[in-house]
Amino acid sequence: MTEIDVDEYADVWVFVEEHDGEVAPVSWELLGEARRLADESGEDLVALVIGEDVDDAAEEAVARGADRVLVADDPVFEPYRADPYGAQFRHLVEERQPSIVLIGGTTTGRDFAGRVAVPAHAGLTADCTELDVGEDGLLEARRPAFGGNVLATILCEDHRPQMATIRPGVFEAADRDPDRDGEIESVEVVVTEDETISEVLEREVGDTVDITDADRIVAVGGGCDGDLEPVLELAEALDAELAASREAVDEGWVENSRQVGQTGKTVRPDLYVAVGISGAIQHIEGMQKSGTVVAINNDPNAPIFEHADYGVVGDLFEVCPELADLAREADDPKEVIQ
Amino acid sequence: MTEHWTVAVGVKQVPDDDEVRIDPDTGRLDRASAPAVMNGPDRNALEAALRLRDEVGGRVVAMTMGPPTATDVLEESVAMGCDDALLVSDKAFAGSDTWPTSLTLAKAAEYLDADVVVCGEETTDSSTGQVPPGIAAHNGWAQLTYVEELEPRPEEGRLVARRDVEGGHEVVAADLPAVAAIAYGENEPRPAGLHRKIYAENEFEPEMATAEDLGLDPDEVGIDASPTQVGGMETVAPADRDGEIVDDAAALLDAMRSEEVVP
Repeated sequence: MTEIDVDEYADVWVFVEEHDGEVAPVSWELLGEARRLADESGEDLVALVIGEDVDDAAEEAVARGADRVLVADDPVFEPYRADPYGAQFRHLVEERQPSIVLIGGTTTGRDFAGRVAVPAHAGLTADCTELDVGEDGLLEARRPAFGGNVLATILCEDHRPQMATIRPGVFEAADRDPDRDGEIESVEVVVTEDETISEVLEREVGDTVDITDADRIVAVGGGCDGDLEPVLELAEALDAELAASREAVDEGWVENSRQVGQTGKTVRPDLYVAVGISGAIQHIEGMQKSGTVVAINNDPNAPIFEHADYGVVGDLFEVCPELADLAREADDPKEVIQ
Repeated sequence: MTEHWTVAVGVKQVPDDDEVRIDPDTGRLDRASAPAVMNGPDRNALEAALRLRDEVGGRVVAMTMGPPTATDVLEESVAMGCDDALLVSDKAFAGSDTWPTSLTLAKAAEYLDADVVVCGEETTDSSTGQVPPGIAAHNGWAQLTYVEELEPRPEEGRLVARRDVEGGHEVVAADLPAVAAIAYGENEPRPAGLHRKIYAENEFEPEMATAEDLGLDPDEVGIDASPTQVGGMETVAPADRDGEIVDDAAALLDAMRSEEVVP
């Protein structure tokens, strides 16, 4: 094994994930947290943007706290593929030697992070929920383990960079300051289309929802048995965003971008209504920072009731429509006049 | 390009996560408390691999890195329909994080002369999802993750996947050899046939390979080659809430109003 001099590595890097002109919100969450880490260690915060026509994302990265932005702009990067992204990112990491590299724990981030970490022989910690720099200057990357029962601290002493993917929604997005100064550098693109080993044949992507921003959430679990109607009705009546447990996503009832929990997103709405969700620890992980938690479940022993402020033991197919009706009536001005 | 494919499937024996207990004194996993089972997503990987073989022709080989007791998950794989199995076992692998684990499995895939490696999207014990992309990265192969469905195109020497991405889906073609990670629950794994089961349990013996057999130096694997270490663990119990049970929807709405979270 080749020994490396860890002191030759410096700066905190954040990957700014951009698809079709939209930046994944987790990128700004990472910039906020990375700014704190960089300030503590007295290092620069560097954003890395890969894609095609990504000038706006690069400028936004400066406004959100980056000291420098590295931009790899080329048609080979649109749409995203693991091999060209990984090769470009790896080249920059080896050339510039960052100490810390943070990547959003999205399907994209989880897809290509290994294509950087493996050739660089870097430590890569998955789905972190807390980050710190210890007194010895090492990144302390904390992640839930064993189904969320344990928070493990992962260290990387002898290898660089110290890489981590971070679960979306865990950190607050960095505030933007349009007057901030930062240096934007266009880097050499080292990937050509001829070298790629994959091809995107079709792509159907709608507007991505961001449940991490919602003030109210109605979340559905296995108890709905695939019939989302009463839950959607309740979400509409409460003006809430739909979310789901892993089970509902794995069953294909709800898209994965709405998944709350250890392998999904972390949410912190004012109101979280859990419908037909048993309350596995992996799910609780992602919603415990919610304001008021309400549970509707026909099993009085469901663990979700221990993590709820209020609960109704009852059939969701009856309780949801009734609650939706009552909530709508309250909004109806005629009711107030009566 | 070969007309028949060798499909290697990565499977793993994990503690049954419904039964896992944490030692309250040490905060560590009490492995003895939980029975060892096959990682759930691996059944979807096995099904996807068997379908590839059924369409293209060739063979499916289950592979695992683990102690000799991990033979159990290989027997299960053979009972489900795998043609053969490889147990990669060596003391040198002890303490491996995802980097040497994916290196070892990458070498095992080469050892088997695999055209395709199929894995589950992640394991229930560590949930990193890093091993399938790691295998691809070590070998410089193409990768397909969060796969819903695979379509073999042997005439093109490619494997095509419909995969899940944030907010939608895409269809991606990967040049062979390639690694595919199947999204959990995306197919209905076939049950083991009775005859296969009897064969797997009584007659079948997996092939064994050590680090040396795979051409690995002991320094390249195990704890010494693992960039990450566990610095500490603490048990975290989410704060319990009051859990006040109310009678019906009307009472629930009143409660939500009292908290001023609905109008």
